[in-house]
Amino acid sequence: MKFRAERDALLEAITTAGRAAATRGTALPALTGVRLEVVGDELHLAGTDLDVTIQVQMPIASGDAGVCVIPARLATDIVRGLDPGSVSFEVDDNEARIAAGPTHYAVRVLPPEEFLRLPQPTGDAVTLAATDFADALRQVVPAASRDEARPILTGVLMAAEAGGLRLVATDSYRLAVRDLPGTSVLQEGQTVLVPSRALSELNRVLAGADQVTLRLASDEASFEVGTTRLTTRLIEGDFPNYRQLIPQSYPNRLIVGREPFLNAVRRVKLLAKDATPVRLTLRSEGLELVAVTQDVGQAREELEAKYEGGEMVVAFNPEFLIDGVEAIAGDEVQLETLDALKPATVRSTENPNYLYLLMPVRVS
Amino acid sequence: MRDEPSILHIDMDAFYAAVEILEDPSLAGKPVIVGGTGSRGVVAACSYEARIFGVHSAMPSVRARRLCPNAVFLPGRFDRYGEYSRRLHEILLSVTPLVEGIALDEAFLDVGGARRLLGRAEDIATDVRGRVFDELGLTASVGAATSKLIAKLASEAAKPKVSKRRVEPGAGVCVVAPGDELAFLHPHPVQALWGVGPATLRRLQRFGVRTVGDLAALPEATVVHALGEAQGRHLYALAWGRDDRPVEPDRAAKSIGHEETYAHDHYELDVLRREAMRMAESVGVRLRELGIAGRTVTVKVRFADFQNITRARTLSEPVDTGGEIAAVACDLLDQVDLSPGVRLLGVTASNLGPKAARQLTLDEAGPDWDEATRAVDDLRSRFGPDVVGPASLVTDRGLRMKRLGDQQWGPG
Repeated sequence: MKFRAERDALLEAITTAGRAAATRGTALPALTGVRLEVVGDELHLAGTDLDVTIQVQMPIASGDAGVCVIPARLATDIVRGLDPGSVSFEVDDNEARIAAGPTHYAVRVLPPEEFLRLPQPTGDAVTLAATDFADALRQVVPAASRDEARPILTGVLMAAEAGGLRLVATDSYRLAVRDLPGTSVLQEGQTVLVPSRALSELNRVLAGADQVTLRLASDEASFEVGTTRLTTRLIEGDFPNYRQLIPQSYPNRLIVGREPFLNAVRRVKLLAKDATPVRLTLRSEGLELVAVTQDVGQAREELEAKYEGGEMVVAFNPEFLIDGVEAIAGDEVQLETLDALKPATVRSTENPNYLYLLMPVRVS
Repeated sequence: MRDEPSILHIDMDAFYAAVEILEDPSLAGKPVIVGGTGSRGVVAACSYEARIFGVHSAMPSVRARRLCPNAVFLPGRFDRYGEYSRRLHEILLSVTPLVEGIALDEAFLDVGGARRLLGRAEDIATDVRGRVFDELGLTASVGAATSKLIAKLASEAAKPKVSKRRVEPGAGVCVVAPGDELAFLHPHPVQALWGVGPATLRRLQRFGVRTVGDLAALPEATVVHALGEAQGRHLYALAWGRDDRPVEPDRAAKSIGHEETYAHDHYELDVLRREAMRMAESVGVRLRELGIAGRTVTVKVRFADFQNITRARTLSEPVDTGGEIAAVACDLLDQVDLSPGVRLLGVTASNLGPKAARQLTLDEAGPDWDEATRAVDDLRSRFGPDVVGPASLVTDRGLRMKRLGDQQWGPG
C-alpha cells in the first residue's frame, strides 16, 4: 500500500485514532498500533483497545490499496515532527516508509491480522446537537470513577427521562446529573452504561463539531462526528439507585456568585494539602472558607453570600467542590446542605438541568 | 555513656500468673500456669511455684502438664492483664514522661531528668517498685544502670530465684553503679546479649565463648570474621557494655491486628470469612479506642503444613470500622486457595495514622454508620464486647466477639 497526504490532516487523523490504541503491552501487540487502509481515494484509520474503537476517514492525494498497522505512539510522534506539506507513506515488506522533504523514516509494522474486526454500526441513528452534548459530557464525565475495582461506577448512565436524555455519573463521593430535555435517544425506561473513558475521548472529537449521530446496540454504542466514529463497549450491570440519594428538601441554602466562589476555593485550596479539606462556615453574614494543613500553614477567605438556615460548618474536598461549581452554567451557585455529614447539592439558581451531589469530608 | 544509673528497667514478676493469683487468692502458693490449654498451646506465664518443676514460658503446654500435673492451668484473660498494664503505665508516667513500653509487663524509664526532683536513681527505683505494689498489689523487679542493656540484666538479677525446692525472694531492685558495668556484665552467659540466638551461639562456641567476658576478650576482628560485619561489631560493642540506645517514649503502634490458631484446621470459606469478620470487628474497636485508622488491611493465613501467606491491600482512605476492615479482609480471603486447610488466620490494620478528615461516600448517605458505630462502642464499653455485633457472628452459643488476647497462646 502507499499514499500521499497533507501532514496536518494526517496528524489529526492519526492522533485521533491513536488515542483509542492500547497503551500498554497486551496479548495482541497490534492493538498498540493504528490500522491504516487505503480505500479508493480515502485513508481509513482505526485504533482500538477492544473496549473503545476510534475510526477516522480522510481524503488522500493518491494511493494504492492496502492495509498496515504501525505503532500508534511512534507514528503520531513522527508525523507531528515532520515539516508541513506533503507526506509520502509506503509499506514495503515489513517496513513502513514515511517521508517528507529531506526526512525519511522506516518503521517496522505490526501484524495486521491480529487487529480485530472493526465494529460496524448497528441500531437506529439519532442525531443530537454536538455543543449541547459536549456541555453535558463536560458536566458529568469528571464525576465518574477511575477505580477499575468498581467497574459500574466507571460508566456514565444514559437514561430516558421524562421525554429527554439524562446523563448520570458518580465515583461514590459525588454524583453529577444532567438532563437534556427533548432529546429522545432511548425508549422510556431504557438505560445504557457507557464507559466514561470513551466519553472523554468523544468530548475531544466533539470540539468544533455541529452534530453527533448516536447509535445504540445491545452491547455497544457508536458516536459519529463528521468522518470520525467512536464505538464503545457498554458496561453491563445495574447502576446504583441514585435517586434515593438526592434529598427532597434542605434546611440550609447558600447562594453565592460562581466566579468569586471558584476563585476563593482555588486560593484557599493551596493550603489544603495531603487530603485536608476546605472548611466552609455558612452564616447569614456570608461565607468563610478556611484550610489548615499541619506544619504548612493556613488560608482564610470571606465571601459575600446569601444564606438561609442555621450557622454551620461543612468541609469538602476542594477538587470535588471545584468540579461541581465549574460545571454550573450561570452566574450564581446554590449550595444546599442538610448537615455536615450528609450530601450537599450544588446547582445553578436559574438552570434546573444540572445537579451535583457532593459528600462532605468528616472532620473530627 | 551516662555518669549515673538513670535508665530503669521494670519487669513485673510472673505477671499473668500474679494477676490471676491476686484476683483469686485461693491460688496463692500453688503452681499456676497461664497459656493455651489445647494440644497446640504454649505456656505464656507461670508462677514461681510452677518453675520449681522446670516449667517456663514458651514451653508447649503438653510438656508443662507432664512436668507439673498438679498445676492450675488457666486460659488467660488478656483484658484483665491489659487493665493492670494500663495502671502500671500510669504509675510509670507519673514518674517521667520518658517511658518506653516493651510489653504489657515491661518498660524502660529514663529518670535522668527526674533525678533532681525525685532523688537518686536507686531511690526512684525503690519508690516505683513500692508504688506498684501498693497500688496494684503486684511485685516488680527493677534494674537501674547507665544503659538499657545493663538495666535489663539488672532487673533480671533482682528477680526471685527458683532453687531445687523453694522460691527465694529476689532483691527487687538492683543498681549497677557507673564503673561496675563490666564486672556485672562479663560473668553473664553470652546468650544474655540481645541478638545472640541459637545459631550465633553455636558459632561463638567454636571460639570457646561461653560468657560475655569471653566474647569481650576476643579481638574485634575475630568476632567480625565469625559473625559478619554488622552483627560482629554490634555484639562486640555490647560485650564491652557500649549501648547508647535512648529510651524512646510512646512508641506508636505500627499495626493493630488479631490472629488465632485453630484447634482444628478450617477448609470452608464461609467459616473463615466469619472468623475474619470477628477479628475485623475487634481491630476496629481498638483502632477507635486509639483514635486512629489504618489504610492497609492484611490477612495472614497459616496452612496446615505451616506455610504462611499474607495478602494485603492499601486503600485510598483510612478505615476504622469492623465493617470496612471486614469487607477488605473477606475480599482478600476470597482470593486465597484454602484447600490445604487453615491452621491460623489473622487480620491486621497497618499504615496507621490519625483519623482526622475522611471523605464520606454516598454509600454512607443513608443510615448514619458513624453514629451507629459510636453507639456500638458505647454499649460495648458498658456491657462488654458480646453485647452487640454483626448478625453473621451469632452462633448457637450466642454472639462471640474477638477479644484482645483470645487464644493468644494457642487454641483452648
